[in-house]
Amino acid sequence: MGEIVFEARGVSKFFPGVKALENVSIKLTKGSIHALLGENGAGKSTLIKLITGVYRPDEGELLLDGKPTNFFGPRDAMAAGIGVVHQERNLIPRFSVGENIMLEQSAGSLFKPIDYRQINADAKKWLDMLGLDVDPSMRVSQLSVAKMQLVEIAKALSLRSRVLLLDEPTASLSPHETIALFALLKKLRDEGVSMLFVSHKLEEVQSICDSVTVLRDGHNACESRSMAGLGRQDLVKLMIGRSEQIPDWAARDFAAAPPVLELKDVATPLGHQNIDLTVRKGEIVGLYGLIGAGRTELAKSIMGLFPVNGGSVKLDGQAVTIGNVADAIHTHRIGYVSEDRKQEGLILMHTVLDNAGIAIWRRVARKFGLLTDQSVRVTAEPFIRKLEVRTPSLNQIVGNLSGGNQQKISVAKWLAAGVRLLIVDEPTVGIDIKTKAYLHELLRDLSNSGTAILLITSDMPEMITLADRIVVMNDYRLAGELHNTRDYAAMSEGIMHLIHRVAAA
Amino acid sequence: MQSLWRADWFGPLVVTVVAIIFIAAFNPSFLSPLNIQVLLLAISVNMLIAFSQMIIIAIGQMNLSVGAIGGLAAISFAGMMEVWGLPGPVAAVLALLIGVVAGFFNGFFIAWTGISAFVITLASLSIFKGLNLAVTRAQPFYGVLESVKAFGATTFLGPLPWLLIPAAIAFVLTWYLLNRLPLGRHILAVGGNAHAAELSGISVPRTIMAAHAISGLLAALAGICLVARLQIGQPTIGDDWLILSFAAPVIGGAVLAGGHVSTVATVLGVAIVAIITQALVLFHIDPFLVQVVLGALILWAVGVNRWREVRVARSLKRI
Repeated sequence: MGEIVFEARGVSKFFPGVKALENVSIKLTKGSIHALLGENGAGKSTLIKLITGVYRPDEGELLLDGKPTNFFGPRDAMAAGIGVVHQERNLIPRFSVGENIMLEQSAGSLFKPIDYRQINADAKKWLDMLGLDVDPSMRVSQLSVAKMQLVEIAKALSLRSRVLLLDEPTASLSPHETIALFALLKKLRDEGVSMLFVSHKLEEVQSICDSVTVLRDGHNACESRSMAGLGRQDLVKLMIGRSEQIPDWAARDFAAAPPVLELKDVATPLGHQNIDLTVRKGEIVGLYGLIGAGRTELAKSIMGLFPVNGGSVKLDGQAVTIGNVADAIHTHRIGYVSEDRKQEGLILMHTVLDNAGIAIWRRVARKFGLLTDQSVRVTAEPFIRKLEVRTPSLNQIVGNLSGGNQQKISVAKWLAAGVRLLIVDEPTVGIDIKTKAYLHELLRDLSNSGTAILLITSDMPEMITLADRIVVMNDYRLAGELHNTRDYAAMSEGIMHLIHRVAAA
Repeated sequence: MQSLWRADWFGPLVVTVVAIIFIAAFNPSFLSPLNIQVLLLAISVNMLIAFSQMIIIAIGQMNLSVGAIGGLAAISFAGMMEVWGLPGPVAAVLALLIGVVAGFFNGFFIAWTGISAFVITLASLSIFKGLNLAVTRAQPFYGVLESVKAFGATTFLGPLPWLLIPAAIAFVLTWYLLNRLPLGRHILAVGGNAHAAELSGISVPRTIMAAHAISGLLAALAGICLVARLQIGQPTIGDDWLILSFAAPVIGGAVLAGGHVSTVATVLGVAIVAIITQALVLFHIDPFLVQVVLGALILWAVGVNRWREVRVARSLKRI
C-alpha cells in the first residue's frame, strides 16, 4: 500500500433524530481508486459532505497527510486539494463550458478582470484530456446531460486535486463514454491521484477499484480493505448484511385477467416511440431501465402531465385521452407515487392527515365544497393504520417523519383514493431494509386485491421481488419483455442483456 | 441571423427604432432638440433605477426598497447642503455612502437570516421611507446649491444633458462588472445556481451582500441625479420607481429567477419606456394611462421571454 493521503478517523455526524454516521473511518491511499459502497441512506452522501467540507464532523477527525485538519467550508477542502464530481448537476447553466470549468479559479478574487481567452484555453486542456470535443465558449445549457457530467469531471480535474471524489459519475454516461472515463481514471491513478469512487453499479466497482469501504446504516461494514478476493455476492452481503434474497412468492398467471391499462404504439413529444404496454388487473408490471431511459416521463405522460401525441391509451378497454392530472386521479382513478417524494409526492409542511387525504378531498367534500377533518379522517385513517405509519398523531407534520414513514403516507394517499391503477416510481429509495420489505409486501397485497400496478425501479432485487412481468425501457423505447422467474442471476442477466443489446446497436 | 435573433438586445432595439420612426412620422416635433433633451433626461435617471434592480434580479432576488433607498439618499443629499452647508461633492459622496449602507443592510439580513429578499426589502422599504419622512416632515429641502441645479438643468454638445454622464459611467461600470469582473460573475453564478456556486468556492452570503450594496449605491446615485434635475430635495422621490425598475430589465430579457440579465438590453428597455411615455404626452393621451401602458409592456416582455425560452428548450431537446 502506498502512503495515505487522506483519512477520516472515527467520524460521526448527527442530525436531529438521526445518526447519519457513527464512528466511520476511511483511508485513501496515493495512486489508488477506492470504492465507497452502501445502500441508499447508508450514509455515503453524508461522508462525502464531511470530506468535502460541506458538513463538519460531530465526532472524530479528518487527517490530511497524517495531520489533523478542519474544513470550514467547501473552499477549505478545495484548497487542500480535494475535488468532487457531484451527483447532482452542479453547473451554472447560463455560463460557458470554459467559465464553469474555471469558476474555482476566479472565486478567490473579486476585481481581477476575467480573461476569457485564457479561460477557454485552460479549459480546452482539460476537455482534451477527457477526449471531449466541446467548444469551451459554448453555453452549458446547450449540452446533453452526459456531456454536462463530463464537464463536471473536467471541472474537478482542473483543480489538480490530489484527492478526487466521484459521486456516481457514470449514472448518465453511455457505455462508450464510461469506458473513456475509466481509461482516464486509470491514467490519473498512475499519476498518483487518490480517488474515491461511489457507484451503485457493482460491475464497475469491481472492474476499476483497488480497495473498498462499505457503509451500512451509518456504520463501517468494512473499512478500506483490498478488493482482491471480493466477489459480487461478498460486496452485496457487506452492503445489506445478508445475501440478496428474493422472497419465495408464488408465481401468478394473468393471461386471463382483463387489461386495466393498454398502451398501443404510444408516442409523446418527449421522445417516446412505439410504446406497447399492457397492465392487467392485479398484475405488477415492472418497468426497468437506466436513469434517463424515459420511464418516469412515460408515467407522467400516462398521468396527463405531458401530452400523448401518437397511438392509443385504453383504460379498462375504453380508449381515453387524459388531459391533466386531476382527470387522471378523479375521473380515471390512476394514482402516482412519485420517485421524488419530498418535491412531488408530499407537502412536507402539512400534516399526515392533510397529505393522506389530499386526493380524496373532492370526493368527500360536503355541501358547498365544505371539507371537515372528520370526513377526511373516516376515509383516510384506516389506510394509515393499515400501513402502520409510525406517527404520534395524524396532526404531525409529515416533514418530521422518517423517509420510510413518509413513503407509507404517499402510498396511503392512493389507497384512500381507491385507485384501479397505481404507478409506483422508485418506491424504496432512501428507505431502510425492513421498511422496504414491508412496502414490498404491501404492494403485493395491493395487487392481490385487484389493483393493477406499474412499478418503476432501478433496484434490481426489488424488481425481481415484485414484478410479475418485467419490461425493459431504453432511450424512450421498449427494448423487450421478460416473464419474471424470480431467479436472480438469470433475470438480472436477461435484463442487462436487453439493455446492452440496444446500447450496442 | 439566428444568433442575432437570440441576442437579448435585438428585440428591444428593433422596437426602439420602429417606435422612433413611427412616432416621428406622425409628429416630427418628437425629434426636436428640446424633446430629445427631455427624453435623455428621463433615460439617464431611469437607467440608474433600472440597474439598481437589475443587479438584484441577476442574483435571483428582488429589491422592493430601491425607491426608498433612492429617496433617502436624495433628501440626505439636499438636506446636508441646506442644513449643514456641505459642498455638493461632499454631500453627494455621503449620500452615496448612505445608499451603500442601506443596501448592505438589506443584503446582510437576507444572507444572515435566510429570509426571502421580498420580505426583508418590504420591511426595509418601510424603514427607509419612515426615516425619510422623519427627517423631512414631508417638506422638501429647497436649499440645493446652484452648481448642483446647473448640473441638472444644462446641456452640452446641443441637447445632451450633463446628467447623462453619471448614467453613462454607471452603464460602463455595470457592464464591466457583470461581464468581466469576478464579483459580477459571482453574482450571476449565485443567481443561476446558488448551490453550484457555493461548491465552486464562491461565498454566497458575501456575494448577496455585495450585490445589495451595489444596488443601494446605484439607487442613491439615481436619487442624487433626481435632486439635481428637480432642483429640490423632494421627500416623494423614489415613490414611483418600483414598476419601472422591474419593467426595464424584464423588457431587456432578464430572467426573474436569476442568473441572466443584459445591461445593454436593459438600457433599451429604459429607452422604450421613456419613448412610449413621451409619445403619450405628444399625442395628448391621458397621462394616467401611462401606468396601464407600462403594465401591458411588462406583460408583453415577460410573454416574449417565455416564448423564447420554450423555443430554445425545444430546439435543444435531446441532443
